[in-house]
Amino acid sequence: MVIDYTKLGVKAGLEIHQQLDVGGKLFCRCPAFLRNDGPDFLVRRKLHAVAGETGEVDMAVQYEANLKKDFIYQGYNDTTCLIEVDEEPPKMIDERALDEVLKIALLLNCEIYPATQIMRKTVIDGSNTSGFQRTLLIGHDGFLEMNFGKVGIAMVAVEEDSARLIGDKKGKEVVFRLDRLGIPLVEISTKAQLYNAEQIKDCALKLGEILRVCKVRRGIGTIRQDLNVSIKGHDRVEIKGFQDPRIMIKTVELEVQRQIDDLKNKRKNGEVRNSKEDGTTEFLRPMPGGARMYPETDLPLLKINRDRINAVKKNLPKLKHEIRDELKKIGLNDELMKLILDNSNNLDEFETLIKVYNKDANLVAKMVVLWRQEFATRLKKSFEELKEILSERILEKVLERVAEGKLSEGDVKNVLWEVAGGKDIEKALKIDKVGDDALEGEIIKIVKEKPGLGANAYMGMIIGKMGKNIDKRKAMEILNRIVNK
Amino acid sequence: MAILNFNPGDEVEIRLAKDELRGRVLESGERDILLLKLDSGYNIGIMRDNILAGKVIKRFKEDKEEEKIELKRKDGLKNIGLVITGGTIASKLDPQTGGVKWLTNVNEFIKFYPEIMDIANIKKIDVPFMIASESMTSEHWIKIAECVKKILDDNEIEGVIVTHGTDFLGYTGAALSFFLRDLNKPVVLTYSQRSIDRASSDANLNLQCAAEMALSDCAEVMIVGHATINDDFCYAMPGTKTRKMHTSKRDAFKVINDLPIAKVFPGKVEFLRKYRVRDNKRKTELDINFNDKIGLVKFYPGQDPSILDFYALKYKGIIVEASGLGHLPVSESGINWLPNLKRHIKNGFVVCVTAQTINGRLDPFVYSNGRELMDAGVIFLEDMLTETAFVKLGFVLGHRGWIGKAKEKMLENFSGELNDRLITNII
Repeated sequence: MVIDYTKLGVKAGLEIHQQLDVGGKLFCRCPAFLRNDGPDFLVRRKLHAVAGETGEVDMAVQYEANLKKDFIYQGYNDTTCLIEVDEEPPKMIDERALDEVLKIALLLNCEIYPATQIMRKTVIDGSNTSGFQRTLLIGHDGFLEMNFGKVGIAMVAVEEDSARLIGDKKGKEVVFRLDRLGIPLVEISTKAQLYNAEQIKDCALKLGEILRVCKVRRGIGTIRQDLNVSIKGHDRVEIKGFQDPRIMIKTVELEVQRQIDDLKNKRKNGEVRNSKEDGTTEFLRPMPGGARMYPETDLPLLKINRDRINAVKKNLPKLKHEIRDELKKIGLNDELMKLILDNSNNLDEFETLIKVYNKDANLVAKMVVLWRQEFATRLKKSFEELKEILSERILEKVLERVAEGKLSEGDVKNVLWEVAGGKDIEKALKIDKVGDDALEGEIIKIVKEKPGLGANAYMGMIIGKMGKNIDKRKAMEILNRIVNK
Repeated sequence: MAILNFNPGDEVEIRLAKDELRGRVLESGERDILLLKLDSGYNIGIMRDNILAGKVIKRFKEDKEEEKIELKRKDGLKNIGLVITGGTIASKLDPQTGGVKWLTNVNEFIKFYPEIMDIANIKKIDVPFMIASESMTSEHWIKIAECVKKILDDNEIEGVIVTHGTDFLGYTGAALSFFLRDLNKPVVLTYSQRSIDRASSDANLNLQCAAEMALSDCAEVMIVGHATINDDFCYAMPGTKTRKMHTSKRDAFKVINDLPIAKVFPGKVEFLRKYRVRDNKRKTELDINFNDKIGLVKFYPGQDPSILDFYALKYKGIIVEASGLGHLPVSESGINWLPNLKRHIKNGFVVCVTAQTINGRLDPFVYSNGRELMDAGVIFLEDMLTETAFVKLGFVLGHRGWIGKAKEKMLENFSGELNDRLITNII
């Protein structure tokens, strides 16, 4: 089926919640550390009704059910403090988390509010011991540059993650683990400026690319992405768990089709749906009313001054496409670039080594991504073993020698091969020096034996005599020198 | 910089160099910052200096119409009285302006704590004043005692709950214990450590348990609050033996040198020891004689005894929180307190000692230092809490008829402030 997105008036926006990896929690000084061992202590709590100012019916209904429940919180003496069990007021915001969120907001071209109040967002399912989640708005009105145009960023906020549900919510007792409570989460919302499935997927990938250059936690459960989507005439539908790029397009197509069917049946209500693996979605709950938010009275207004913003701006990480441009500029070929960008360790190592010797990016790249693999295969060893033998420090030493002019580029692979085979690095470097002299001696001999030939002819003879593994470039250099004398 | 005529609660629009913002003005507490609530619910601050222009979209009008909630009576429930005096338990955030306000409106109090209405009918509510407990003086203790007494005199009322800030709640507990003599019904002080806007507030369980205790058979002044950090039960603790032992935990109040009177669950009271039994026909007497010319000093190593000269000049008596079993430096020390002590005590100045260790009993006989102090006329207050001792000293010195009998009266057990059987507190 072909969907005419324009005709249908599809409008969509993304909302991402991503855990930050800055070591600690947002408002206490406990380590951010998910536990699998049994808890040291349990805290038993009840929720009670909070008099709301507005008639949030759905909230009241949920409250009713939760008021009767007992909430059990599992804690650990070494990673849970009084703040997570709501027995002590919060500490000041974690500075590292704040800087990281600023970084993300700036990468998304956001304006930063000069002062922002830490807010309490009412939470009624027991997943926060306090009965609320602390959250603060950092940036607004940013944009993402996409190949189909700009997509607005409505806001960037940072908030506390909730406690981890252990088991289910169905019984009279609901169990939560406090290890996750308070881990900083960045929340990014785009404006509803995505108009078809491709754009939605591209935008999600782009946001992912930006988050990956920042300090974020990796793995299942560390990112939660929601899609808000509607067609003309239909209320907004929120799809939870929309984070698998492989099924994004299918999910959007099926949802648009579902909304078309809704309209045919004279329905148009917005609701919250859950994304499933096959691309379909299922009803989760009606659309909630606006979040009830009020100030965290235990903390002062947070001021973010210009100096701080500028300091973060100065150290903004580069995005993949920016890195690609830079690598291209220093002469790295496409194939090696692909391998280098394949994982961040490769890139880190490459960036360290290119500082040692920057005249041949392809040589440095080969050291990082090709030769160790090749040697491993030849020596029937694992790649990890080879990486231990040919460590970054070894590669650095070899390149230092090249940079000093004491080792020719053409000999690098041989030296590394010898080290991989078990030779001491110092010895491998020394012998090679002798090897250079030997090569020159041999070339002089050949030229003297048959004078008057062209350089290419001599080259053939040299290879014939000394084998293919000689440094051809060096040989040509010597030849040119001798022949032109 | 634009001159802005904004008031908290106003809907406004402002123009900045780069963009425009719209929101509701909140109290920021800082002069150079305009605090706004945005449509998203977030509050953000803008430096007033950076605002180029601004206008009011809609002026805030205070909603004067108060919901009239009748104090609903449920059939079969007994009556209690309520005295509200301030503290976290009776404060709330005003969402319109962002400020913290007292729950002065009785209806509002009931709206925040509906569960209490399932346990008892609140027949009378008195709000003598609304202040944080650190602002209280002996005048306030007297005022509370008068309010409580009036309610106790009502034949239809079974007991009284007093809501109070936590910081100096122990002092009020002691004061009521001394001021209300021949108590006929329960007098229950309660509090909250977590603000009532949050679904996790401890106020709710504390109030429910306070109501249970107010209906119970125990005619004592009690402090009722969380027994642990769990929301399962509270302790009813004796008004003269209870101290705030933590700055922020729900179970901050602990019984010192005694046992809790009862474990209190919503719907159930389990007594843990003997108590004074209710007699609704008994007449409670109000004895509010109090002399506030009293001091409280904590002894520290090297403290100069001339501190006594200062107090003796302006005060009638002093509680010194002493070291160990009740010691202060005496003849063997380079800073001997004995000459100053003897001189002032001879002139009628009352000097009592209590324990810095909080737990345990003083004993002047174990070391010669203690004996020297006792011979000088220092009164050793056994296992009495320092705070209780302070209140009691004011109470004793407030009675003209007891002049010259300070030692006798300080060591007379008026209201459970002395316990001659300390046990290991295993419950």
